[in-house]
Amino acid sequence: MGRVLGAAFTIHEGINSVNTHSYGPESRGGSCRSEVVVSKGEIYYPNVRKADILVALSQPALDTYKRDLKEEGIVLIDPNSVKDVPKSLVCYGVPAMEIAHSVGNVKYLNSVVLGALAALLKSMIKKESLKSAVSENVPPKTIEKNLEAFEKGWTHIMNANMAVAEYEKEN
Amino acid sequence: MVEAAVKEKKYPGNFRRPYIKAGRHYLEGSEACVEGALVAGLKVYAGYPITPASEIMEHASRRLPQFGGRFIQMEDEISAACALIGASWAGAKAMTATSSPGFSLMQEAISFSIMTETPLLIVDVQRPGPGQGYITTSQEDVMQARYGHHGEGPIIALAPSSVQDMFELTIEAFNLSEKWRTPVLLMVEETVAHLREQLIVPELDTIELIKRKKPQDLNISPETYLPYGHDIVPPMANFGEGYNINHVGLVHSEDGNVSNYSLKVHRENIDRLHQKIEGNVNEIARIESQFLDDCDHVLICYGSVARTGLEAVKEVREVHGIKIGFIRLVTLWPFPEEKLRSLISKVKNVFVPEMNLGMIKHPITEALRDKCDRVISIPEIGALHSPEKLIDQIIKGSTC
Amino acid sequence: MLKHPMLKYIREEGPAGKRLPFILCPGCGAGQVLNYTLHAVDEIINQPGVKKEDFVFISGIGCSSRLTSHYLNFDSGWTLHGRALPVATGVLLANPKLKVIVFTGDGDAAAIGGNHFIHAFRRNINITVICVNNGLYGMTGGQVAPTTQPFTITPTTPYGNVEEAFDLCKLATVAGASYVSRWTTAHPFQTIKAIKKGIANKGASFIEILSQCPVHEHKTPVEMINALKGMTVSIDKSMNSNKIPVGEFHFAPRPEWTERYEAIIEKCNERIS
Repeated sequence: MGRVLGAAFTIHEGINSVNTHSYGPESRGGSCRSEVVVSKGEIYYPNVRKADILVALSQPALDTYKRDLKEEGIVLIDPNSVKDVPKSLVCYGVPAMEIAHSVGNVKYLNSVVLGALAALLKSMIKKESLKSAVSENVPPKTIEKNLEAFEKGWTHIMNANMAVAEYEKEN
Repeated sequence: MVEAAVKEKKYPGNFRRPYIKAGRHYLEGSEACVEGALVAGLKVYAGYPITPASEIMEHASRRLPQFGGRFIQMEDEISAACALIGASWAGAKAMTATSSPGFSLMQEAISFSIMTETPLLIVDVQRPGPGQGYITTSQEDVMQARYGHHGEGPIIALAPSSVQDMFELTIEAFNLSEKWRTPVLLMVEETVAHLREQLIVPELDTIELIKRKKPQDLNISPETYLPYGHDIVPPMANFGEGYNINHVGLVHSEDGNVSNYSLKVHRENIDRLHQKIEGNVNEIARIESQFLDDCDHVLICYGSVARTGLEAVKEVREVHGIKIGFIRLVTLWPFPEEKLRSLISKVKNVFVPEMNLGMIKHPITEALRDKCDRVISIPEIGALHSPEKLIDQIIKGSTC
Repeated sequence: MLKHPMLKYIREEGPAGKRLPFILCPGCGAGQVLNYTLHAVDEIINQPGVKKEDFVFISGIGCSSRLTSHYLNFDSGWTLHGRALPVATGVLLANPKLKVIVFTGDGDAAAIGGNHFIHAFRRNINITVICVNNGLYGMTGGQVAPTTQPFTITPTTPYGNVEEAFDLCKLATVAGASYVSRWTTAHPFQTIKAIKKGIANKGASFIEILSQCPVHEHKTPVEMINALKGMTVSIDKSMNSNKIPVGEFHFAPRPEWTERYEAIIEKCNERIS
């Protein structure tokens, strides 16, 4: 997922981005972590220092990584998997697993989340760029379904109609 | 004096070679490394799977036949390294990628390639040790790179910091191995191998490629050819060209003869090998630096730590007002002692962050003994230093 | 003065000359193996369409591997102990048109090189492996080898060898070699023929040559060669005999590694339109 997001920024919009994933001690307990850093300038340190957005797809993930979120950062979760969200966090929910099932397969979950992210980031990146990145990074036979999942994720967040603040991703 | 190696700028051949296109790409370090190797003319890849280097091998297995090259997965790392030797002797640019435990297995082959002056490229995607250690990132093979092989024999080792480096330094590594007729190591860390970021590929015909100097280029006939002679970097005949080249790993004289052993012949052999690389360190080794005019301290780093390093240095300068310079060693070995000394006049602290308990800090300390008050090693095991940690250490070190 | 006909392939003269006499002990079987091999190669070189520069000799470490070292006036590589086969594989990966001949010994091939032995034959890569089998580690002093018979006394089995010996031909056959044959230094013409067939075979060929080491066995060369003749029997007559069978064990040509890979290269380039 981080890869597609990064590709969307870098290939389709020409904005520098770096994507890392870790499978270190953090991956015990089932959490593994993918990070994307985006910048209009150079990116030195390749990891996220403090995140502007945290996408947590499981409760342990939120519990472990909420410490790395900026004060003004936001969280995107699947409310069916993540029930316990600290009140202090600005949180958006998209029932990604449910939507993926409705499109046909739990495999499409990533595209649902990306659609939701696209809505949250719409001041920074065009929806089309993310859609193109998705199309280029899934098996050709599944492009249609993945884009459908993407749309549903997008629509869900847009309909929730919460004011999406504008902010820059640092670094 | 080394004669100019033959340079080739064209990309000839009967196969239509689908090189990576010029422009912007979004690639993983492993992929960028292979693409760089293909641009450099990689023809043979012999490998063995090991985490976290297997991606490089898998990518090579997909791409090489598209260029008419040959890929093989050998039965172990030892045979992978040995296959490279044979391939190089037969004229091909050859490479493999492994990780630290596999790198240990390849040391005998590396030692042999140094003695026989066989160009080849070994990528070591370092992971923590000892033993199986772990599969995260590390810089713990820095000393193994220089001294892991038995015997006195210098080697060239480069340290990429980014995906762009993985592309460019792989090409540079091949050029160095062909120009100096030596094995070259690319000391990667898992961080950079698995990092995905922007790669800008220039127009391919602007990339300089170097091919090994052959006796034919110097009008040397097979009858008068000396496989280890004619020049400090001996011209190398490939198999199948009628030069009857004998490759030998025992101490030898210029003609490859091992039966006229004497202490003099022995010393001359070793000295020439040493001079070839260490004596040309100023031409071979590269350093990048910033903020060095008028600094009180300096941070010296390499590989992915250089990324954290630069971020930390910038923040420390801008936010905390500490005058600290930044040096990145692009080449680890031969260690660029003279160049390093020429960059620094006098500083208080030299900070050396490494993803090990302190390895390159030793030649740094030796080199800058009279140019600094002290060398402060900042070790980190199993993970990349965070900017916070470096900033903290720099402030601490600078204020006491 | 009569000159040995195979000296034309040895570095006697020139800037790279003065390498003789050979380092091999007087009466060593390895010298005979070199002679037979060069005869075989000579016959092939004289065939139309074959060039001397197509031949490459690769060896490991040991007395047998000294045969390439720096004596041969051919392209050659004297490599690491046990690793002649992977180096030879690499040579073919770069240039499959070369005729690669590997000199190895029983310790070099079957002990430290054992893993590479089975895989090179499994791959059926186009090499001709000539294994000089003297049943011990000659260069280092006569220590026990995987091919030493049980109960033998050697410097590292002073109370007798407690292990069984490999049958290298069986090993090579099971691993997948497409041509396997065994002779001895006492069978010059048969050996030359076998080597020729091995080189001509497009695939992995294994020719084991039982050889004498008079120095470590403390016997005279003549005694040992007679013994070699006496202890061996032709395969067709070996059914009811305790003697060691010699002859052609296996000849079953099958697709060779570089041939198969060639098909992949063709396919990959077809796809790119």
